[in-house]
Order: sequence, then C-alpha cells, then structure tokens
Amino acid sequence: MSGRIEELELLLLAWEDGTLDDDGLERLRGILRTDEAARSHFLQMQMLTAALRLEGDAGLALPDVETLGVDAAPPPRKAPPSRDRARRAYRLAAIVAGLLVCLLTGRLAWLELTHEPAASLTLTRRAVGQPTEEPTSLGIALVTQLVDVDWGDGQDAVEVGDALSPGRFAIRSGFAQIEFFCGATVILEGPAEIDLESAMQATVRNGRLRAHVPPAARGFALNVGDMKVVDLGTEFGLSVSPEGADVQVFDGEVEVQNRTDERRRVTAGRGLVRKPGGEIEETAATADEFVDFADLEARAQNQQDSRYARWKTWSESIRSDPRLIACYMFDEPDSRRRVLESSLLPTNPELDGAIVGARRVPGRWDHKGALEFKRPGDQVRVQIPGEYGSLTFACWARIDSLDRWYNSLFLTDGYEQGEPHWQILDSGKIHFSIRAHERKTKEAPHRVIQSPSFWKPALSGRWIHLATVFDIETGRVSHYLNGRVLNRQTIPKTLLPEQTRIGAAAIGNWSMPTKPDAPFAIRNLNGRIDELLLFSAALGDDEIRDIYENGKP
Amino acid sequence: MDQTSSTEDFIRQLAEHQNRLYGYVYSLVGDHSRAADVVQETNLVLWRKIGEFDSDKPFLPWAFAIARFQVLAHLRDRKRERMLLDESLVETLSAEAGQQATQIDSLREALRQCLQRLQPDHRDLIERRYYRSMSVADVANALDRTVSAVKVALLRVRRQLAGCVQKRLAAES
Repeated sequence: MSGRIEELELLLLAWEDGTLDDDGLERLRGILRTDEAARSHFLQMQMLTAALRLEGDAGLALPDVETLGVDAAPPPRKAPPSRDRARRAYRLAAIVAGLLVCLLTGRLAWLELTHEPAASLTLTRRAVGQPTEEPTSLGIALVTQLVDVDWGDGQDAVEVGDALSPGRFAIRSGFAQIEFFCGATVILEGPAEIDLESAMQATVRNGRLRAHVPPAARGFALNVGDMKVVDLGTEFGLSVSPEGADVQVFDGEVEVQNRTDERRRVTAGRGLVRKPGGEIEETAATADEFVDFADLEARAQNQQDSRYARWKTWSESIRSDPRLIACYMFDEPDSRRRVLESSLLPTNPELDGAIVGARRVPGRWDHKGALEFKRPGDQVRVQIPGEYGSLTFACWARIDSLDRWYNSLFLTDGYEQGEPHWQILDSGKIHFSIRAHERKTKEAPHRVIQSPSFWKPALSGRWIHLATVFDIETGRVSHYLNGRVLNRQTIPKTLLPEQTRIGAAAIGNWSMPTKPDAPFAIRNLNGRIDELLLFSAALGDDEIRDIYENGKP
Repeated sequence: MDQTSSTEDFIRQLAEHQNRLYGYVYSLVGDHSRAADVVQETNLVLWRKIGEFDSDKPFLPWAFAIARFQVLAHLRDRKRERMLLDESLVETLSAEAGQQATQIDSLREALRQCLQRLQPDHRDLIERRYYRSMSVADVANALDRTVSAVKVALLRVRRQLAGCVQKRLAAES
C-alpha cells in the first residue's frame, strides 16, 4: 500500500472523528485532487463506512429496501372512475409523505403499507448486528421416524429430524418414533396425545406407546394422571384410554408410583392395569399388542417403497414435459459409469453429464441414487445448448453444511450475458443472479435476488427441495423451500437480459475458465443432489408444490 | 402506463434506492447526519419533480444527478461549516461515487459475511465506532487503551474489512 493511501486513511479517520485540523483537511483534499488511485480508494473507504452505518443502528433509519414489495405487478388494467383515481393518488401521496416523515424523524422501524394491493410496500429493517455468541438450538427430543402419520387439527406437521420442544405432541393415526435427549426412545401409535415435559419426562394423555430405555436413560418417567411410571432400564408398553391405564413390561423392570405414594415394581412378562376408579389389577404382559421397533422399521420400509413408487410414476411423466431443457433424476444407483444420464424424453445423450470427483451414494430412498459433492473439484459437467426466456430451477438436495462463501447448486461456467447462477450463500440464503450486460459496459452486471436465510443447522443431512423461478417478462424472481415460497423480488427492467442461455455449466460447483495453474475459488456444494430439473418457463406456485409433494421422501 | 401505476412505480423505486442514495451522498459529504439530511432533501426534490419521472428510463442516474445538486447546494448553504470536500472535488468524484453506490447492497451483503469473520474484539471495535457512533477517544476510554492504539487498531480492522469485502465482491462477479 502506498504511503499516500495510508496517509489518506489516517486523515479520513481523523475527519470522521472530528479531530482533523485545517492543514490536515487541506492535505486530504490535495491528495484527492492529484491522485486518481487515491480517489478510487477514498470512494471505496467511504462506501464501506456508509455500508457500516447502514448496518449499524447509529440512530438512522433508512428503510432496508431489499425486502420492499417489489413484487408489484402492474395494477389491473381497468380504467378506474376518476374519483377513485383521485383517491388512490391521494393515498399514494399520503404514503410518500408518511415515508418521508418517517425518514426525517428517523423512526421508521417497521412499516407496512397494505392499502394498495398492487403496491403493497413492506419496509422492514433487518435485524441489526452479528451473532456474538455460540449458536444455540432448542428441544428435548427428536422425531426419528414417521410412518403413515395423519396430524390432527391441533398439531403442526413435524418432519423426521425435527427437534421437539416441551409441549403437546399429537397424531391422529400412524406411528411416530421419538428419541428423547436422555436416550429413551418411544414409539407412539395414533391416535395418541402426549405432553413433552423434559428430556427425561412426559405425560401421556391418551394412546398407546412402547418405550425402550437403555441403561444410560434410566429414570425416564411417563406420567398418567397422578400415576408415574419410572423406568429402571427396560422396555415396556403403556396404553392410556378412558378405560384406564395399562402398563406392560417386556424386559427389565419398571416402578409404578401411585397417588398414595405407593410404589410397585413390575417385572418382565408382567403387567398392571389401573381402572378409572383407581383400583389396580395385575395381568400378564402381551407384547404383541404394542408395535415394536422391528415392526416399525418394516412399516417405514413400506412407506419408503410406496413413496419411491409414487415419485417414480410422477418422474416418468414429468420427463417428457416440453418445457424441460434439462432433467437429471440420478436414478442409476448401481451404475459404475462416470456419466450422469439425462432423463429427458425423448432421450438425448448429448445432455448426459460428466461426473468429476462426485461419489455415487444413496438418495432420498435407499434404492434411489444421488451424487455426493465433497471436495473442491467435485462436480457434474453438462452442456445445454439453446437460448431461452424464463427459467425455473428445482432440485432435491441434502446439504451437510454451508461452509463455502458460495455453495453451488447450478452455475454456468464463467458468467456471461444471459447466464444464470444458482447457489446458496454461507448465510443460508438462496442466491440467484443472471448477467444482464456484456462485460465491457460500465453498467452494473446484474441484480442479485436472494431469499431470506432458510438454513438452520437442524436441516443438515436432511433432504430439502429448493426451487427458483425467474420470469423474464416481469423480472420477477421467486425462491422456494419445500414447495413454499420464501420470497419474491423483481429485477428492474434495466438489469434484465433479453435472453437466457446455459451452455457449459456445472452441477454442484462452479468452473471458471482459467489458466491451468491458476488457483480457483472453492464453491463446491458440501452435500448431495438427487434430482435436478431446469425448465424454460416460469413455473407457478402450484407446480413447484407439486414437484415437492411428489418427491418428498 | 397510467398515472397511478407510474406513481406507484416512482415510490417503489424511490424506496428501493434509498440505500444507494445514502451511499452516494455519504461518500461525498463524509458525515452521517449531513448525509441523512441531504438524502431527505433529495427525496423531497424528487417527489416534487415526479412529473419528470419516466418509468421506462433508469431511475438511479436521475436520482444521483439531483442528489449531486443537493450536495453542492448543501456545501454552498453552509459555507461557514467545515466540509470534507469542496465543490470541484464533488464534481470530480461524483461519477465514480454513483458507480460504486449502485453496488451498495452487494457491498453490505459482503460486509456482513466479513464482519462475522472478524475476531470478536475487532468486531466490538467496529460496533462501538460505527454502530454506536462512539468517538475514538470514548472507545479508547471504554477499553482502557490509548487513543493512538485505538486509531491504529481501527485502521487495521478497516483495512482488513475492506480487503475481505473487495475479495467477496470480486468473487461474485
């Protein structure tokens, strides 16, 4: 760094701090007058300071415009009566006035203007500041298996891998396997209702369950009304209904504590029924009334098979969708070829991808294939000819972690006019961009459209569906996670390319045409992909939802 | 486009470009509260000139041109106050300032990532100075360090941030 630049930085720091004297100010201006490089550097420093000010909450409250409702389609084309128009104009003026007043008073923290359906402006301020503490998570138990579950009305759908916090957990039918953080595993058979209280304790309101409690989890307790079933390292069944509570011990021993503080031990092969009146009756255990772990496993396998079959049927039909320009189903798990077959119909081997580095691994289902991207060079090379307009990207991915600045899903080599880049930032946002202008022009190359951050560590290792729709007519970009819209934003007309193209591209990585000995940016995905669809059209919300519903594992 | 939707479009663009306007103005006046004032004045002038707004033409060059006038007017109106730049420097720098300000959203995104990678005590320094607007002397006081030590540290952290941000931006395009 040149001495003048260093001097400039010092002077600028003093200026910002209000400690720069007149000589210093004149010196600063002198440097700027005579040194072009210093001018550029000066502007970079200033822009960085401005960005820092915008990031911080230094009493200023400019609206964060990234989330502004740029979704506004042109209003309906019917000519409104003039009075209505005047009223709308008045209302808009009021909105602007309100906006300006808020800016002036610096109080615009969160402002939602929804009077105009066509121009609903939502101004939100981004949460300020950076995490300064170790990341935390919540929960006392994990859902590890769900088979044919029908969620009742009161329960939000939960997915395998979700952590459960204290509170009600209910299923109307089907089976749910819950692993408490203490190590106890419970299989619930619907209809069942249970209140999770801690990693060691729950209250069963009704339903049938089997609990397996290894030695490490000894002391795990289930409450039924005022009765407490404490496990002493064993496997037992518990059934709760209006007719009473039925405890059956299959292995080991449990202790049943009653309201009267009476304690009874129940040993393997024995059971105990408590009638609604409180009287207790001893019985023999009948283990086959309770679904066991092997049985659940078999049912889970059945469910897998039927979901795989459903996906298979759907995938056969989507392959001939005329809007598809690339389609990879990754469904050749046993293949030893280093080729990713194009699944497009009619078959076109020209679209086959070349696997570099990536390993064949199981996909969403055991018998379906996927590719795993781990090392910096891992990728699938493809060549997709043609020129297009709107584009839709959709893929099933299992991300282990987002440890690169940019984690690639699908990127064209290099980045020329009309070429899209689809990737995920380390902050967990889907990052879509398409180059609008040639490299030579001075104009901005593109407008990046990002989703809000969807990533949380609990998603690691789970299959998720990601999609992004780019509508070239309106410039609108929509991001989706698991069939639901994350957000929509519009690329301004001036930053829209006329056409889109793919050409040479990579799945799971980015290839920059560089000299053979030049280092390259590490952007590989750390995870798996087992389906990638690319359409030359802007698919609707329903269609994205459909892809998700037919493909969820 | 009828008038109402043109007005809607104007409002949307105006709001969408607030950060870019702030970046542009800040880089030329080098002071947060002045920059916020000038952006406000610029908003008002743009609103008054809504008749000149053409939604088929790029909004930013128009807005930057008006912001530049407002910066110059601000310099003239406050002759007695000390300003960072004089009129001729504002003229010299304004074109490139506009180009850089256009990218402020990418810059902020990059900055966020880079801030997360700072050592905690360095990030603390940045937060005190820029988020809480503490003077260098106050920061030095609070951390029980000398003013010159804080200055050196700030310079170093800023340089580190600038380097990281430039790398990220280069990686993006």
